[in-house]
Amino acid sequence: MAELAARAWDAINGLYLGLRVTFRVLLDRKITVKYPLEKLEVSPRWHGLLALPLDPETGKDKCIICLQCERVCPDRCIHIEATGKGKERVLTRFDIEMDKCCYCGLCVEVCPTDAIVFIPEYEASTRDRARLLYDLEDLHRAAPKEPPARGLVKMGRGR
Amino acid sequence: MRLHTEELMLNMGPQHPSTHGVLRLILTIDGENIAGVKPDIGYLHSSLEKMMEHRTYLQNVALVDRGMDYLTALANEEAYLLAVERLGGIEVPPRAKWIRTIMLEFQRISSHLVWLGTWGIDLGASTVFIYCFRERERILDLLEQVTGGRLHYVYFRPGGVLADLPEGWTDRALEFCDELLDRMVEYHELLTGNPIFRARVLGVGVLPRDAAINMGACGPIARGSGVDFDVRRAHPYEAYGDVEFDVPVFEGGDCFARYQVRMEEMRQSVRIIRQAIERLPEGEVRARVPVNVRLPRGEVYARTESPRGDLGIYLVSEGADKPHRVKIRAPSFSNLYALTEIMRGWKVADLVAILGSVDIVLSDVDR
Repeated sequence: MAELAARAWDAINGLYLGLRVTFRVLLDRKITVKYPLEKLEVSPRWHGLLALPLDPETGKDKCIICLQCERVCPDRCIHIEATGKGKERVLTRFDIEMDKCCYCGLCVEVCPTDAIVFIPEYEASTRDRARLLYDLEDLHRAAPKEPPARGLVKMGRGR
Repeated sequence: MRLHTEELMLNMGPQHPSTHGVLRLILTIDGENIAGVKPDIGYLHSSLEKMMEHRTYLQNVALVDRGMDYLTALANEEAYLLAVERLGGIEVPPRAKWIRTIMLEFQRISSHLVWLGTWGIDLGASTVFIYCFRERERILDLLEQVTGGRLHYVYFRPGGVLADLPEGWTDRALEFCDELLDRMVEYHELLTGNPIFRARVLGVGVLPRDAAINMGACGPIARGSGVDFDVRRAHPYEAYGDVEFDVPVFEGGDCFARYQVRMEEMRQSVRIIRQAIERLPEGEVRARVPVNVRLPRGEVYARTESPRGDLGIYLVSEGADKPHRVKIRAPSFSNLYALTEIMRGWKVADLVAILGSVDIVLSDVDR
């Protein structure tokens, strides 16, 4: 009989402790956000969508067509073409297949001129799969007005 | 009068919420009792080991993130890079080692929180799920500030880490550590004393110590069966040799012991993070390693303690910039095997509790 009473007490106490937590949280501040109406800020290093900012001084592409990003991409989703020779080389094609992209950031990391950058955006959904192919124009349009602050260590440059 | 009874085949999965992915269990049941379990795996097989042979060592970092255990991406990177660095003789700067240790322990806590929440749901305690994810969200925010990713980080690099910790991050991390310990008290209040929870896990699914060793169980499963082994202590890597921590071992062997091990491990992880942040040395975070690093001919095996257990990578190099062969020893695979062996004799309802206590991730089992 005493054992039964002890077990009953344990059970009641256990349930009381659990329910106390539940009621405490009921009165707490809400931790969720109503997503499409409210949005969370992402951190400066956010691996989001990609963009090609233009050089503010010359108004031209920063890309020097070294093709390092195309080579390092594990999913091979970057396609670059260019015409001209030497200093006259210009980009004619810079396509990123965002549906293949795995957001690893290796292209941003190897780029010697910061021509390709991440932007703090993450909404890429569309009803048409063809629109996930971002061409040069799309990538220019997506570029931020000011370069995002980032503390990444570049390849082969040390700290 | 004798009743005519016969055994029944029951198909559990592949689409079953408590199998945590796509695992199919072919059960032979005798009434409510399980007479036999045959796991059918391979639904998530992605031929990761083969894919790794076609990518450079740097690109593979992005691949091991998502191809293996997707809840512990950093632990996968660590195991893989440990192999690469050992074979290539690449020296990691001390600061990078300590940063890696901090990151790995945060990853361990976040993985255990997912386990605790989903196991709670399996057992019918759905409240704890949301609470665990609330804390996990904080960890993901912290990791996002450092790495830029929330699930797939691609943060570790051959010879260091991608970037130094952002300014003020260590203060935020320490603040979270204090908060987590408070929250852990809540988890204990919600679960440990709860009579329904105790009835479902106490003494259920006992894995004896000998069986755990013989069937290759590792990590929290083995430690819950009284096997005092942790790779972080037995074969220290990164900064684990220099920090103080206890390896929780419980003798019970049942689901409750495995629960206790993981709860205590989170507490120890906080302890490691605090020490690491306090003793974080200054200096470089990344050694100079070329993009297309070539490793010398040879083979290497690196083992680490991932949140799920003993994660090993066997890597063979033929001198090229791509691995010749990679073999991954996944902890979930051997743990799943060990526990399906002991499921015989338990009730069908207990099976969900036992399966949940393995903390399987099917992409880790199948690879």
